[in-house]
Amino acid sequence: MKFSGTVDINAPRDKVWAFVLDPTQVGSCGPGVESIEVIDATHFKARAKVGVGFITAKFVVDLEMAELTPPTEAVIKAHGQAPGSAVDATATMRLGDRPGGGTTMDWTADVNIAGTLASVGARLIEGTANKMIGQTFDCIKAKLEA
Amino acid sequence: MTQVETHTSPEVGGMGHSVKRKEDPRFIRGKGEYIEDVVLPGMLWLDIVRSPYAHARIKSIDASAALAIPGVLAVITGKDLEKAGLHWMPTLAGDKQMVLPVDEVMYQSQEVAAVVATSRYLAADGVAAVEVDYEPLPVVVDPFKALEPGAPVLRPDRGPDKATNHIWHWESGDKKAADAALARAEVTVAEDIYIPRIHVASIETCGAIADWDPVREHLTLHMTSQAPHAIRTVLALVSGLPEHKIRVKTHDIGGGFGGKVPVYPGYVLAVVASLTTGKPVKWIEDRSENLQADSFARDYHIHAELGATKDGKITGLRVKTVADHGYTDAAADPSKFPAGLFNVITGSYDFPDAFVEVDGVYTNKPPGGVAYRCSFRVTEAVHAIERMVDILAHELGQDPAELRLKNFIRPEQFPYKTPTGWEYDSGNYPAALRKAMEIIGYEELRREQAEKRARGELMGIGISSFTEIVGAGPSHTFDILGIKMFDSCEIRVHPTGKVLARIGVQTQGQGHETTFAQIIAEELGFPVSDIAIEYGDTDTAPYGLGTYASRSTPVAGAATAVAARKVRDKARKIAAHLLEASEDDLEWTNGKFFVKGSPDRAKTIQEIAFAAYTNHPQGMEAGLEAVDYYDPPNLTFPFGSYICVVDIDKGTGQVKVRRFVAVDDCGNIINPMIVDGQIHGGLTMGLAPALYESITYDELGNNLAGTFMDYLLPTAVETPHWETDKTVTPSPHHPIGAKGVGESATVGAPPAIANAVVDALWHLGVRNIDIPITPWKVWQILHEKGVSASPPGSRT
Repeated sequence: MKFSGTVDINAPRDKVWAFVLDPTQVGSCGPGVESIEVIDATHFKARAKVGVGFITAKFVVDLEMAELTPPTEAVIKAHGQAPGSAVDATATMRLGDRPGGGTTMDWTADVNIAGTLASVGARLIEGTANKMIGQTFDCIKAKLEA
Repeated sequence: MTQVETHTSPEVGGMGHSVKRKEDPRFIRGKGEYIEDVVLPGMLWLDIVRSPYAHARIKSIDASAALAIPGVLAVITGKDLEKAGLHWMPTLAGDKQMVLPVDEVMYQSQEVAAVVATSRYLAADGVAAVEVDYEPLPVVVDPFKALEPGAPVLRPDRGPDKATNHIWHWESGDKKAADAALARAEVTVAEDIYIPRIHVASIETCGAIADWDPVREHLTLHMTSQAPHAIRTVLALVSGLPEHKIRVKTHDIGGGFGGKVPVYPGYVLAVVASLTTGKPVKWIEDRSENLQADSFARDYHIHAELGATKDGKITGLRVKTVADHGYTDAAADPSKFPAGLFNVITGSYDFPDAFVEVDGVYTNKPPGGVAYRCSFRVTEAVHAIERMVDILAHELGQDPAELRLKNFIRPEQFPYKTPTGWEYDSGNYPAALRKAMEIIGYEELRREQAEKRARGELMGIGISSFTEIVGAGPSHTFDILGIKMFDSCEIRVHPTGKVLARIGVQTQGQGHETTFAQIIAEELGFPVSDIAIEYGDTDTAPYGLGTYASRSTPVAGAATAVAARKVRDKARKIAAHLLEASEDDLEWTNGKFFVKGSPDRAKTIQEIAFAAYTNHPQGMEAGLEAVDYYDPPNLTFPFGSYICVVDIDKGTGQVKVRRFVAVDDCGNIINPMIVDGQIHGGLTMGLAPALYESITYDELGNNLAGTFMDYLLPTAVETPHWETDKTVTPSPHHPIGAKGVGESATVGAPPAIANAVVDALWHLGVRNIDIPITPWKVWQILHEKGVSASPPGSRT
């Protein structure tokens, strides 16, 4: 599944960059995230509870800041597993200055979901993923603009 | 409704009587004994860790958290099995299948590890706690892409000389002759027809209890199997346990339909767990495991070409097929028939030249395929030929019924040798079709259709005149893993005239306890109520190959009749002794022997049975019993003609089956009520893939039909009223002239429905719609053709 979007954030680019590259900050905006464990500067581990329809899975996700071009572009790779399900994702984020102040964030995500969640939740998964992504960006925007 | 001939009184209940099923009192009262009902002292439970990935390398398995749960006793992995050489097992098709993987998983929901615990819940908790680290690998979902150069080779274990996903090539018929026939045909039609992957979806899922007794060194395997004897032999060969120390017991089975023929890893894991713990271990699948991991059916990509003269006489057929077998060929076909009996694809039609070829292919999907209530690949064959005949008729502007009548094998041509080598035993195809046309009022329906079409309404009429091929099979040609496909019956008559008969076939709901008793009642005159039929315990039942491919009546039914005749032969000798007459002077009728010309000098079979133990002739063995292992001289060829009328909703694309008439001919009938029941069930199971059922996968190999929410089984709500009737054309080679009926309707129904839908849409330029014909597919076609009645601007 491929997702993409653009978010305008009323905050300077450096501040946005610092926020989204800080696992604890950005992690706090992930829906269902229960804990964030920082392994090193570019690796961290998240534990999250994800619900699709009536199925709930507790994922352990390994994240890697794979390619970083501060303060412009970041590629983040994720590999997560829950009993019977797995997720592998690559997300790319590109920041730009908005004319008149603020930051524009263009993002894309390629998400592969395998196992029970994909099989049983297939008809619901795209909608759920869209909703979760929306919640994440709403949260990021709200915290940065606060 | 055609009446069936009887030769016995209703009290005796021989062939032709609609005797009520002897098994039903326990079923309808909830007193059946299914595998889940069996609870043994000290029993443990087993649950299975399954792969989320369709193709991945297992980097590590960490069972420590699972083993820390109180009550979780063991976690079994592929590496554990590898030490004992049990990580692979043979499939019935002669390929091999992983019990548990050591390196790579090959389909989503494949078994990865087994957890043994003191309760079902703890076993499930243990499964959730096993941590498996996977490295995803490229997934091969499409069988055509699997054959492309550079596609990942899924089965490197087959060796460097087989570095391909191509499993086998099989062909039948005369290629040159078929090519020539098509080259010189005045008219040819060609079509790609896909028969999708479906699942038997028995209401009872698969399960087993393995009970290893370490003191007696004896294994009892309680399991859901359609072929318990074959399972015992395979288990002995694979495990090294002596065969006399293995007992397979089946209990009641809640639907088999072919899906309970294969050996699934869960059965083997239960055995390993019991051998390891010395305790009974139960494994029962849940619904999603059943739908996602058990053997599938169908999945044939067919390209068919039919040649004919301008006036509609068929002259030749050429068929090329790609068969998607998943990651291993676990089809339960006879050894010499990797594509089953698919070459019965020439159907009910008389033409000289045909050539059929099939290529089996590996993909990252569960293994298979099982013959889901279709003999062996006969559904695929019948669907293809019946669709092609309809396409030809429409292309030529001829009525599909007329075209069929023009091309049928005529009654006087039987026994009929087909261009692919089968010898059809008997048939009267025009009689069955004409009867169906008369019942449904065919001419009137065509007039109605023309009127409706003029008004812009969509109504279609579809015909399927199928020929089945069942009763595998003659030992010169048919075996499974080398075991010949005979079957058996053992009859014991007790002194008081009551009978115990044991048969080599299993029952999964067919009513064998009733129908096999009726065969004995017919042959020996004992009332059905005095005859008990036993099966499904390898310690007591005679060896047999099991129940699938409609083989029970053709093979074990014949064995039962022949065994009964052996009993009657001995009874004649005893009667001669009792009546002080020569055997040659005795005649048999209505359950007794009497002296010719003196009907009063008679001995009933009950009197003879008593004498067999109390007053048998000196020099003769006491007792009255016989056994027969029957090797059929040929297969049997049931047939029928089905006509379906559909109306299509131009707003929603919904197909409504308005009428469906099924005229079946299964030879002589043992129990008309049970035959009707089989046909009603079979028609519903034919409706299912025609309109509803299909297992699809996304590009990552995720099964998208893993629950009954996504895999739509028709219920009473979806099922139309079935109108059934029959013709009776006995099999000339079967001892009681029966042919078997278990699969006719499942085989015959889908093309009748598909033909009806295409018939409704042909004038719009629609040539073929692959099943299942869902409202979404039809709705898109209606939009494309500009005839949809749904609101403008609807999303396509």
